[in-house]
Amino acid sequence: MASREVFWNITYGYVVYVLAAIGIAIWLYGFYQRYRVWRLGRPDECAKEIGKRIGVFIRTTIVDVFFHRKFLRQPFSGTMHLIIFWGFVILLLASAVDAISYYSGYHIQGTPYLWFSLISDFGGFLILLGILMAALRRYVWKPRSLNSLLDDGIVLSSLTAILITGYMIEGLRQAATEISPHPDWAVWSPGGWVFAKIFIDLSEGTLRSWHKFLWWFHSALTVGVILYSGLTFSKLQHLIVSPLNIFFRSLGPVGAPTPIDIEKAEILGVGEIKDFTWKQLLDLDACTNCGRCEDNCPAWATGKPLSPRKLVQDLKGHMLHLSSNSADSHESSLPLIGEAPNEAEIWACTTCAACQEACPVYVEHILKVIDLRRHLVLAQNKMPESAQLMLRNMQMRGHPWAGAQSLRLRGDWTTGLDLNLLGEGNHVNTLLWVGCTGALIDRNVEVTLSLTRVLKAAGVDFAILGEAETCCGDPARRAGYEFQFQLMAEQNIEIFKSHHIQEIITSCPHCFNIIKNEYPKYGGEFRVLHYTQLLWGLIKQGRLSLSKEVKTVLTYHDPCYLGRYNGIYSEPRKILQGIPQVRIKEMRRSRERSFCCGGGGGHMWIEEQPGTQKISQRRIEDVLNTGVDTVVTSCPYCLQMFEESIENKDSLKVKDLIEIVESSLKKSS
Amino acid sequence: MSEYKGVMVLGEITEGKLAPITIELLGIGRRLANDLGEELSLLLMGGKAGVLAREAIAYGANKVYVAEDSLFDEYNSDTYTQWISNFCQKTMPSILLIGHTDIGCDLAPRLNGRLRGGLAMDAVNLSIDPSTKLLVSTRPIFGGNAYAKVVSRFARPQMATVRTKIFPPAERDDSRQGEIVSVAEKVDPSIIKAKVIDRIKEEFEGVKLEDAEVIVSGGHGIGSAKNFELLWELARLLGGTVGATRRACDEGWVPVTRQIGQSGKVVSPKLYIAVALSGAMSHIVGCLGSKCIVAINKDPEANIFNVAHFGIVADYKEVLPVLIEKFKEQRSP
Amino acid sequence: MHTIVCIKQVPDPEIPPAKFKIDPVAKKVIPPPGVPPVISVYDERAVEAACRLKDKHKGKITVLSLGSEKATDVVRHAISMGADEGYVLQDEAFENLDSFGTAYVLGKAIQKIGGYDLILCGRQAADWGAGQVGSILAEILGLPIITLACDIQVEDKKLKIKRILKDGFEIVEAPTPAVATVSSEIGLPRLPAGVALMLARRKQIPIWKAKDIGADLSELDPSKVHTEITEIFIPTRERKCEMIPGATPAEVATNLVSKLVKLI
Repeated sequence: MASREVFWNITYGYVVYVLAAIGIAIWLYGFYQRYRVWRLGRPDECAKEIGKRIGVFIRTTIVDVFFHRKFLRQPFSGTMHLIIFWGFVILLLASAVDAISYYSGYHIQGTPYLWFSLISDFGGFLILLGILMAALRRYVWKPRSLNSLLDDGIVLSSLTAILITGYMIEGLRQAATEISPHPDWAVWSPGGWVFAKIFIDLSEGTLRSWHKFLWWFHSALTVGVILYSGLTFSKLQHLIVSPLNIFFRSLGPVGAPTPIDIEKAEILGVGEIKDFTWKQLLDLDACTNCGRCEDNCPAWATGKPLSPRKLVQDLKGHMLHLSSNSADSHESSLPLIGEAPNEAEIWACTTCAACQEACPVYVEHILKVIDLRRHLVLAQNKMPESAQLMLRNMQMRGHPWAGAQSLRLRGDWTTGLDLNLLGEGNHVNTLLWVGCTGALIDRNVEVTLSLTRVLKAAGVDFAILGEAETCCGDPARRAGYEFQFQLMAEQNIEIFKSHHIQEIITSCPHCFNIIKNEYPKYGGEFRVLHYTQLLWGLIKQGRLSLSKEVKTVLTYHDPCYLGRYNGIYSEPRKILQGIPQVRIKEMRRSRERSFCCGGGGGHMWIEEQPGTQKISQRRIEDVLNTGVDTVVTSCPYCLQMFEESIENKDSLKVKDLIEIVESSLKKSS
Repeated sequence: MSEYKGVMVLGEITEGKLAPITIELLGIGRRLANDLGEELSLLLMGGKAGVLAREAIAYGANKVYVAEDSLFDEYNSDTYTQWISNFCQKTMPSILLIGHTDIGCDLAPRLNGRLRGGLAMDAVNLSIDPSTKLLVSTRPIFGGNAYAKVVSRFARPQMATVRTKIFPPAERDDSRQGEIVSVAEKVDPSIIKAKVIDRIKEEFEGVKLEDAEVIVSGGHGIGSAKNFELLWELARLLGGTVGATRRACDEGWVPVTRQIGQSGKVVSPKLYIAVALSGAMSHIVGCLGSKCIVAINKDPEANIFNVAHFGIVADYKEVLPVLIEKFKEQRSP
Repeated sequence: MHTIVCIKQVPDPEIPPAKFKIDPVAKKVIPPPGVPPVISVYDERAVEAACRLKDKHKGKITVLSLGSEKATDVVRHAISMGADEGYVLQDEAFENLDSFGTAYVLGKAIQKIGGYDLILCGRQAADWGAGQVGSILAEILGLPIITLACDIQVEDKKLKIKRILKDGFEIVEAPTPAVATVSSEIGLPRLPAGVALMLARRKQIPIWKAKDIGADLSELDPSKVHTEITEIFIPTRERKCEMIPGATPAEVATNLVSKLVKLI
């Protein structure tokens, strides 16, 4: 019966457990020190709802950790990590099995043992292959987003050493005990078998002494790596910190900032590293410097100084400076915003969430940017002039479009239309929330009018606020001007409640997102729908029939605030697919990987860094690569950004989805 | 109130000569005086006052008061206000005309406060009401969206600061006769509280878009950064600055700070010359506050012609150089 | 240092030109419905100038606004920028005042407040734009007046004020107390934020009547105004673009110049 002796040739084998215990204890001490640094941060809401968290954690673990969903979006490095991960899982399970066998007396034998050995060896092989791929990527190909530190080299080389010595140990044992008596078993441990063939000619005494030495060396190295990791807080810590971070990830909506209590707040935004919450500090340690966020960041892709990875690492540097000053210290840390991170980086973000979507360990970048902006705007009154102009207009006129009011007033778009304009005291169930862009900017007013016609054709009963509508507050909030947002949110909620509104339909994903996901914290809970959701529902119910042919080859651009923020990818597509003669060609970067139009995060108004390619132009390149004649979107910002960026309007058209829908409606008699 | 008689012009001397606005005021002053059947007087202050008095008479003044004190060579609010108010209390003019200049804008309101007369600033038209014989001043209100006619029924003197280049200059007739009166009264320099301690001439590039009175704006049709120099020349000549559309800024032909429009600056100059720009609404929004929009574009269908007051369908490369020349001719004395 | 800033609430200047309407009989401008009034552009700059001085020298900013009861909004706006307190001067007797009347009322209020080093106004109001109140106020109070300030510094209780000229700047030195009018070249006013915004929400803004400031109503007698508006009108704006004629570029240019000469 095939088997092997656990702890063969090893005396005092239990010492390894003692060593491990000491190693782990020291590791725990190191971890505790770090924990104390995290706890210097402010309280965080994420400590609540533990029960719900466990469920989410299990789901996330299965999808993202077992199946490596996010990792595999980058095929090469995703596969590399996948095999390293599973390789280690196999090896750890194998070691656990060995330990249990030794102390319980039950040993795997025979064919199961052979398979056990093969799988274990295969696990090691997977890891070695993974390390080879990692080394190739990091040291030969050197992609830009991967910056290499000494820690990376130490980790890769020490793991390699552990694995190689592991095979050597196996080979020595096989050479001493297995090769001669049971040559047919040896091949079931191919890693060891390689070394066994090398060592075969050594005397048993030599074999045993090398074996013993290497066994203890291998164990010490392993404990050493644990110590190294714990005391230097190496990236290996992600084994513990990343699951911890995933456990405490935000359960709320994407990118929803925490309200600031106007009356009582002492700290406005984040000006020092300690102003972050402990969870945000934990984030900084969860980051493994993998660079996926940077690879997907539209600002970085077009030459802006913002790299989400660098931002996180810079903040981590500040946090470490804190810990080196002794975690007990109550002295304030260095001001955060200066060289790294600097103001240009902070303002370059469009809050598109591509970074967060790409991050395998669920680091939350967006709220850090917004917290930093809050500090700049609320505490220091520092912001780019273009931001200041927009925010002043929000404050004075209740909308961000400075200058637009010289052309048309808020309620002008309703002139001559038969719409249910809410008067004081009127009650209505459904409100069509038009948004600032849809009311004030000519091209977007066309979209609003189209939407009202389609809704009417479908028999939807809705009302509008007309000139009583003010901004939802999104541009102010994303630019860090929190108080203005709060005033507007409270005002709008009061208006909604005064009209007993239950349901709100929006055409702008930013309005949609903020009213649906962020207004509840201010006392306003309504049923909020983006028009694509509503339309799809109407089509399914048969209340809207899109039967006219629309002969066009188009691509659909997923708006960030509809897609990544709210998971609405399929409804717009289903609507378009149902229109006769419409052909959709997807861009390579679509759905969760959609590339921002550059209009979010206040950037519809805040100037992008001069001398760099416009984010919208980069996205138009994606569109042009598909060869379509029309790009369709369902967001007013995207529409504006594309219209501005398209060079030759004859070769490429921009349309809102509702306009395609309307052109497919048979005209009523 | 009937003791107040005559039209008085506060003259200004620039670079040793009568300022152009003074000659314009003498022109309109003469008409007003004729309508009232009263005299036109001019007050000149400063060391050069005496030398220029004769010339002023040739321009139509019946009387020229000369305060030939070198203390008045440099304008100072305290001395001028004190001296002129004393002077007006003695001479009691019914109407007092001042140019809407650096000096006039600073002096007139304070003088009005001292004399407790009635003042209309930035007048673009003046006339005598035939029935009441009152001075009627027309001035812009609400950013130039409307105009108001202002009178002072009882307060004297009736004052107005008059915008430059509105009225034609007076005709010179050296055969005219008049009186030159030297006013000896001095003012005590110790009354000076606020004094100028430094003066800095600024490069035109410093004029902010939002404050410029003239903007020459270029669009995608300009074609290159070099071609923008033509716009700069015209702008400088007219005392203004250069703006651009988003597309021109995107191309890097002008700094992004020059962008006018929905996502740039909103401006309201007196004159906005839109050169080789199509007039997309996103740009128009930024300049609609302009009092006068002139469009120069090759394309007769360009949207800019829907919002401009004056239009020229031509290649800007042909029109601008000639326009610059013509403006130069018009401005040279 | 104590600065008093006089501010005015005006109809929003940013409306489509087509919506600008006047009532020629009442001689008033009719703002389009639904467009809230705002703080006059230059007055906001004056508040900004005061805030900058307060940033540097500490001290206090008091804001005054002569207007309707709604003027508390602009006073609150000034407080949210950094002013410490404000008052609205509202009374039936204060309606339809000319520059002298306005300056008189403001002067009375300022005398009641007292203890000031600097009084700031906007260079002119964004609505009627008479541009005189600051100077007349200085005369009433017997103070020096410096107009068109774009930068105000204080050194040893003396003011160093940078003034705008047509082709540059000059620096004027003046003693305190004094009056200055502020121009837009001072730059963008700060965003209401931080502690000031919180303070503004809760602040009580008293409304002073004529008797509260000891105003002599005979001074405000409508028959005593120094200037009256006899007519207001909107110049007829040709909707069509006037194409400049000319056979050659030179002719076109000449014709255009003659059209524009009155403007500039």
